[in-house]
Amino acid sequence: MTEIKLDCMYEACPIPLLKAIKKLEKMDIGDVLILETDHSCSIKNVVEWAKKQGHNVDYMEVGEGEWEIYIEKRK
Amino acid sequence: MKFYEKIIKKPWPYWVGGILLGVLNIILLALTGKAWKITTGFLYWGLSFLELLGFNCLDWYYFSVYSNQLRKGETFIHNYYTILNLAVIVGALVAVLWASEFKFKKIKNRRQLFFGLLGGIIMGYGTRLSFGCNIGAYFSAIPSFSLHGWVFAIFMFIGAFIGTKILFKYLL
Repeated sequence: MTEIKLDCMYEACPIPLLKAIKKLEKMDIGDVLILETDHSCSIKNVVEWAKKQGHNVDYMEVGEGEWEIYIEKRK
Repeated sequence: MKFYEKIIKKPWPYWVGGILLGVLNIILLALTGKAWKITTGFLYWGLSFLELLGFNCLDWYYFSVYSNQLRKGETFIHNYYTILNLAVIVGALVAVLWASEFKFKKIKNRRQLFFGLLGGIIMGYGTRLSFGCNIGAYFSAIPSFSLHGWVFAIFMFIGAFIGTKILFKYLL
């Protein structure tokens, strides 16, 4: 299992979601993607998308208005 | 604490936001008799800046085709749209402060700056041709039974679809 960081700071919709889709395509099952974002929409649309794809997903607010979204690739 | 977490802190579902926007738009129309628009306000701010520089903007061909919708006694700065735009900014500020999510966002790199400016210029030009942005030309137009809202909607979805494909394939 590897952890891969994805920097989406200062970027707005739909870039965090598109970047996550692109990155996850290249990852192996079991790898964890850590998406760093300060765009509050991301904790909605990225999380919803990942759930729909069947990945394990969670997020945490790491600073004021800054989040890390953790996506474990499941398939 | 549970109320704060649920209502103030967490993002609302899309359907809640949609219903609220719809209801508030009806209230605004009923109270003021005018549809909600955003970019028209920015047009006026730009015009007032150009007037400071000595241009006489109202002589432009554009305003012989499109009416400028100011009421009597309103100026480019002192008008309905300025108040609405400031209210949107103040409302958003209150919301992020309350959720303690306020922060200044930096420009990531030159690429983001370049594409941001380019996108802004194209959008600004487009809004002047289509009676507004996706608020004025779409969100306020369709409930007013205006055909231009539907035309705008179709091309907005086509544009967003193509734009996302280009973004995904070449720019990320």
